[in-house]
Amino acid sequence: MISKSQVMHSTRVLFATVVGLLMAAPLFYMILNSLMTTSQTADLTPQIIPNSVHFSNYSEAVSGLTQVIYGRSFLNSVIFTFFVVLFQWMLCISGGLVIAKMRFRSRTVITVMLGVSLFIPILTTLIPTFVVTLKLGLINSYPGVILPIVAQTGFGTLLFRQYIAQMPEELFDAARVDGANWWTMLRRLVVPLAKPATGAYVAISVLTAWNMYLWPLVAASSPNLEMLTQTLASLNNLTFGTTHPQNIVYAAIVIVTLPMIIVFLCVQPYFIRGLTGSGVE
Amino acid sequence: MSEPATANLGPSVNPPRRRSSRRDGRAATLMMAPNLLMFAIFIIVPIVGGLYLSFTTWDINNGAPKWVGLANYTKMFNDPIVGVAVGNTVKFMLFGVIPTVLIGLGLALLINVRFRFVGAVRSLYLIPAAMSFAASAIVWRYIFLDGPGYGIVNWVLSKLGLVPPDWLVSTTYALPALDIIAIWLSLPVATIIYLAALQRIPASVIEAATLDGAGPIRRVRYIIWPMVRPMTVLVAIVAILSFTNGSFDLVNILTPTGGTNYSTTTLIFYIYQQSFTYGLWGYGAALSVLQIALIGGVLAVLRLFAALGRRAP
Repeated sequence: MISKSQVMHSTRVLFATVVGLLMAAPLFYMILNSLMTTSQTADLTPQIIPNSVHFSNYSEAVSGLTQVIYGRSFLNSVIFTFFVVLFQWMLCISGGLVIAKMRFRSRTVITVMLGVSLFIPILTTLIPTFVVTLKLGLINSYPGVILPIVAQTGFGTLLFRQYIAQMPEELFDAARVDGANWWTMLRRLVVPLAKPATGAYVAISVLTAWNMYLWPLVAASSPNLEMLTQTLASLNNLTFGTTHPQNIVYAAIVIVTLPMIIVFLCVQPYFIRGLTGSGVE
Repeated sequence: MSEPATANLGPSVNPPRRRSSRRDGRAATLMMAPNLLMFAIFIIVPIVGGLYLSFTTWDINNGAPKWVGLANYTKMFNDPIVGVAVGNTVKFMLFGVIPTVLIGLGLALLINVRFRFVGAVRSLYLIPAAMSFAASAIVWRYIFLDGPGYGIVNWVLSKLGLVPPDWLVSTTYALPALDIIAIWLSLPVATIIYLAALQRIPASVIEAATLDGAGPIRRVRYIIWPMVRPMTVLVAIVAILSFTNGSFDLVNILTPTGGTNYSTTTLIFYIYQQSFTYGLWGYGAALSVLQIALIGGVLAVLRLFAALGRRAP
């Protein structure tokens, strides 16, 4: 006999799965379309299943007459993301240690300041930030596009502060007895022990940096600094022509987003921990 | 994805016990210096400098900013497009953030269940978090496409006997179309936060309520909602920040002119247009002050609601 609660449970599982598939449907639609022929995507009835599978769309998106993704933009996005996350991580973990464990006067002021900055995202101070970067002579350079984003330390510093504050005081006392100064404690104690916090921080900031659009758009407008988000954005205007058919555009988006989706699926637990301060079972 | 800001908003951490009179002022200054220096140059200076710029007119290619007092602000209050842009921003936020909060809670309730492949199914809900506004904009552009070879949305609508709108060109449907995309992108983070909150509710509490005869609706109303309500403020804040980003990215990519009759011109897009397209830097700075005030105002209202909610029985 199947009990009523078992039926209820199965119904709920089925429903949860169907809704999940619907939520992810635009992504499946994108992947399926990226494998179709141009004539199939141009059919008057929207097509979902490819009549035949064309992986060649991917090579056409990165080479030849239909090329939309250039190696240079890919490289620029990688450089931008890597250095933003690396430099910002260094600032945030050291800053987190200072606020969590050190004793000095202006600690509360600094903490509050960092907290308030979370609500002033760079796009609300876009004009003056652009002017500051311009005055420093950094517009249209890697440092110019990277450093102002590195400076957004509010989220990371407070995340590390939260984590480091929970480390037992005795660890630091013992290190101090062994003659360690704060820099040694940062390198030998905090960095290794704060790995879960680093994981959460990296998961969130890699995605944020990789997906950033507005700041690179204004700070790095020269073609050799173009990043993937700008490349994708420019596809909208081009799709009305015949040079960039839908299947090639979708192949391009798959090439740009699939690495991030795979990374995301791998780091999902860290991402969740970074958002919620705990895991989800 | 959104710029999450949540881990920091948890309970505040106790300061280290003061067992000795040890002071770390010097070490703290040295170690905090790089962080604060960058913060000062690229965050504090722009905030203060932006306020100054808002009282000037400036052609960035010619000469220095010229002090004009309140002229930019007077212009702002007489500029009909500013009202439209503020209205669009508020509409975009309201019709985006509220559904994100409600649907996010619904989805979290839905996947707060244990079964064999629950991890894989939850991933389906969370994957959009890995997408950028730029990539999603283009994916959805084809889904909303109008004209010969309808996008799938309009194909379904026409099969249902409805007249499918030209989503991104229409003055009525362009902003809702952008909202739908932004909601889709913001749901994963909302769902994650609610799911974490739901999992902190002891199963025994729910079981006890069920045994006492509380149906699903009553359980949500009287047990689950009160316990996850504090999280709603957090979900809303993260969503507001995400929608602030979206209010530029999606508009600029999908409706590069700001929509038919300014129908998708949000404040942040208007600031970008005035400064970078027309070179009105002082005016752009004044509009930015309005933008910060707007976000500040929304967050203040939210805090007020949170405070009232706490006081209510």
